[in-house]
Amino acid sequence: MRLPIIGYVLSDVIVSWIITLIIGGFLLWWLTAKRKWPLILDYIGTTDNRKIGTMYILFAILFFIRGGMDAMFIRTQLAVPDNDFWVFQADKYNEVFTTHGTVMIFFVAMPLLIGLMNIAVPLQLGANDLAFPYLNAISFWLFVSGAFIFNMAFFFNAAPNAGWTAYAPLSNDTFTSGPNNNYYIFGLQISGLGTIFTAINMIVTIARLRAPGMKLSRMPLFPWATLVTSSLILVAFPVLTVALLLLMFDRFYGTSFFGGEFGSPVYWQHLFWIFGHPEVYILVLPAFGIFSDIISTFSRKRIYGYTSMVISITLIGLLGFMVWAHHMFTVGLGALANSVFAITTMLIAVPTGIKVFNWLFTMRKGVVRMTTPMLFALGFIPTFVIGGVTGVMLAVAAADYQYHDSYFVVAHFHYTMIGGTILGAFAGIYYWYPKMTGKMLNEKLGKWHFWLFIIGFHLTFLPQHFAGLNGMPRRVFTYTWEDGVFLFNFVSTIGAYLMGISMLFVLWNLFKTHRSGTSSVDGDPWDGRTLEWTTDSPAPEHPFPNVPVVDRLDAYWYAKVNQTNLPQTKDVRPDPISIRTFQPILLAGVLMVMSIGFIYHWMWLQILGGGSVLAFFLIRSWTDERNEAYRKGEKS
Amino acid sequence: MKQMSDVLFLDKRFGFFLYLVVEAIMFATLFATYIIFTPAERGAHPSEVFEWKTVALTSIFLLSSSGTLLMAEKGLKNWSRKWIWVGLVTTFLLGAIFMGLEIHEFYKYAHEGYTLSMNNFLGAFYVLVGLHASHVAFGLGWMINLMIQFTKDMPRALFIEKHKIFNYYWHFVDVVWVLIVTIVYLPYLF
Amino acid sequence: MKKTGWILTLFLLSGCSLRVLDPASPYADKITRLIYLSFGIMMLVFVVVMILFVHFLKKFHETSDRVDEIPVDESGNRKLEITWTVLPVLLLVILAVPTVTTTYQLTSGASQGEGGQDKERVIIHVKAEQFRWEFTYEGGEVSYDKLVLPLDKEVELRLTSEDVIHSFWAPNLAGKIDVFPDKETRLVFTANKLGDFQGKCAEFCGSHHALMRFETTVMEASAYETWLQDQ
Repeated sequence: MRLPIIGYVLSDVIVSWIITLIIGGFLLWWLTAKRKWPLILDYIGTTDNRKIGTMYILFAILFFIRGGMDAMFIRTQLAVPDNDFWVFQADKYNEVFTTHGTVMIFFVAMPLLIGLMNIAVPLQLGANDLAFPYLNAISFWLFVSGAFIFNMAFFFNAAPNAGWTAYAPLSNDTFTSGPNNNYYIFGLQISGLGTIFTAINMIVTIARLRAPGMKLSRMPLFPWATLVTSSLILVAFPVLTVALLLLMFDRFYGTSFFGGEFGSPVYWQHLFWIFGHPEVYILVLPAFGIFSDIISTFSRKRIYGYTSMVISITLIGLLGFMVWAHHMFTVGLGALANSVFAITTMLIAVPTGIKVFNWLFTMRKGVVRMTTPMLFALGFIPTFVIGGVTGVMLAVAAADYQYHDSYFVVAHFHYTMIGGTILGAFAGIYYWYPKMTGKMLNEKLGKWHFWLFIIGFHLTFLPQHFAGLNGMPRRVFTYTWEDGVFLFNFVSTIGAYLMGISMLFVLWNLFKTHRSGTSSVDGDPWDGRTLEWTTDSPAPEHPFPNVPVVDRLDAYWYAKVNQTNLPQTKDVRPDPISIRTFQPILLAGVLMVMSIGFIYHWMWLQILGGGSVLAFFLIRSWTDERNEAYRKGEKS
Repeated sequence: MKQMSDVLFLDKRFGFFLYLVVEAIMFATLFATYIIFTPAERGAHPSEVFEWKTVALTSIFLLSSSGTLLMAEKGLKNWSRKWIWVGLVTTFLLGAIFMGLEIHEFYKYAHEGYTLSMNNFLGAFYVLVGLHASHVAFGLGWMINLMIQFTKDMPRALFIEKHKIFNYYWHFVDVVWVLIVTIVYLPYLF
Repeated sequence: MKKTGWILTLFLLSGCSLRVLDPASPYADKITRLIYLSFGIMMLVFVVVMILFVHFLKKFHETSDRVDEIPVDESGNRKLEITWTVLPVLLLVILAVPTVTTTYQLTSGASQGEGGQDKERVIIHVKAEQFRWEFTYEGGEVSYDKLVLPLDKEVELRLTSEDVIHSFWAPNLAGKIDVFPDKETRLVFTANKLGDFQGKCAEFCGSHHALMRFETTVMEASAYETWLQDQ
């Protein structure tokens, strides 16, 4: 089918149009029939951290389904040698793995973690909201805007196709001339801005809104991880912003930073990985924080070696900036550079190892309760250790000449990203679900989810190490019988389907929990240790009318053990001002309009969108909620 | 309980400083890009493009605008409406002149054939200095908005807060300019 | 354990025939040894973690009689923590030394010969373009998607790209080296086994990246000369 602007459309896109229309229509009907619109408007206009966090997670799940479907197409196409599955060969396949990677990193892993941070961090600190509630809503809607821009591409038959790393010069307009990679640039640029604002918000919250008595040395490990992660974001994301800006100039305005006659393709790689490597620690450190809290709670013991845990997160964060070139061992930087980066990379194993042993020793002599969140935390330990040790193997620069860009690497980073981030996010969702909704997810279904997922996971990714060692490069849409990787790939595909099936249990669980209206839970269903469990479930918009006073780590737990109550005080700093506003979603809308103008080179739309974006600064400045609040303050 | 406006201002100031860190890293990356690609192997050499007169003139106007802004800051401290007006207006004028000179400079270069696609030195130059110029332009708009808000009935604490945040921004933009002069222009002027 | 069982079966099934672990040159052989060494050290770490993990879970999981038990509070143990800081550092040192030496051996080989040319070396120019490999031999002979090498003679590949980045990878013979449009990269190795070996582009380069393959044939020096003359 050939259409104007959109071009020649293959059947996969047409099918997805039809499915989207059907599901969209059904959803509209359902929302109207069930009178859900007021609820939705309430969420759209909110600046409350719990509601925003919940929306982050909902959208992340939506994009998880999209990225997961990409994964299924990939695995189906690779199930057998010389396969011709549907349309997924050559260019289509390249689009699918590009969107799979980008969506999973930026629109699944990031929002899952940021969502959990939104929900848990202020509560764990004893704060009534994040420091800047309005900015938080802006961050969220920027993420949604970026994610929609990126995901829209497929529906307009222009999915990005240069890999999630968008290596130049392939990503330049010389070699990928369509709008495809423009979507990539703007999707990431806008959601990245949202991430930067979240990081600022988190740092200020952690620095200035902790409960009385909660010194940094008494702060739970999830906020600690959030603090380090946010600092990493602050340094890493601006580099991506500039890299994308330069790439945009290359594609739009005829510069040639990364390609052409005098450009340097390696410079793109440097910029990308100076962002990209810290990015993977940005993704994994919050998961470490979640696991620390969960393992401690469900072992009924305080975290083993708290101080060294904090030091190791910080060290991992710092070292994260000194290792980027290990993604570039084969570009010919020379033996010295390769050796230096090999050693710095290996060093990261030390603080990571400290953390693993501290987790293990937290369980020792404890009472280990096998709840669903704990199962995910337990599944994480061996899985992540495998990912970690293959990481050290990859750090051996000379050996990386063989591993590099092969399925060995694919296996490695899925072991760390799924084994760390995704298992952590699942654990966190099961753990904090009562705080989000006031209900507990079904434990039995949760365990089914865990076991199917973890078995499917290892089936999928363990064989890929061997496929890589047998010479299978990544990002290939086919292979031959002679390659000798059929068995590995076939097992891998089976595992991937198992993971897919496990996700159906999540949906079923969500459905069941909310359908059957299982009785709401009290504030502390897990017998927790940190301040979030002193509030109601779900956490109200103003969770701490009286703020608890903290005198040590896990103060709430020790209060329970000593059968006392935490002392409370009213004498605290004023809270941030939360409001209801539809400005953030409108801003997201006009940013999208502007981006489409750029993506398709429509100057009038660029000006219209850009002008409206600027207008939002004025609107914001004149509707500042502080105006009223300060006025009251001045009168009193 | 502490005064609400004081505490929230400290939150905002800290948040804005963090944002300036983000900006600083963006500029640092662009400086690195400029240094890597300059001078380029082919196309124009910086020494044939830059003129010390323009650089001196733009610097004088922009840097003195940081000084005049201090008058407004003094006005904020003692709440003297006169000083705030004088400070804001002179800063705005100086900034506007800088902007005019900058546009003129870009226009002239482009006219002489030094476009951003000529080589990577010029590409990096335009992206870096252009980003700075857009910051100045944004700051000018910001100042107009501040002046209008100053004429309206707004809680004093809020106006002071908004003004102070702007001051940090403007000084930051000036610091970046100093770096631009020392890194981008100076090595190729003499 | 299920997982370790998997590793072992898969490894036994295929370990010896995996291309990366079946070297046909001293270069690839060095890497293979390094891989085995790092794998060994890392397995040691993994096994220790797994033993502790399984042991702690068995011993300390909640049983019906421990439902209300509140374990003794402990905040950590300096000695233990130092142990699991120092031991990994030692293991890493054991790994880092051969890593650096091998990296220097394999990488410096590629950048040598900038000035005076080594007479003993066979120099082959490799040009990569979407989606084809072009090999130009010393006498100007050209072959496409097929690289022929003499046995036991040091070869220096000089690689450039016509368009995007590619990566040259013949797993039995050597590690990867990326191929750039704006600079020349080099790869030096000596094939010491006769036979045909697969080669692939390992850097994603566009639509038919998956099909950008080449075959490497290593033949006796005399056969190599004859083959060249036939071109």
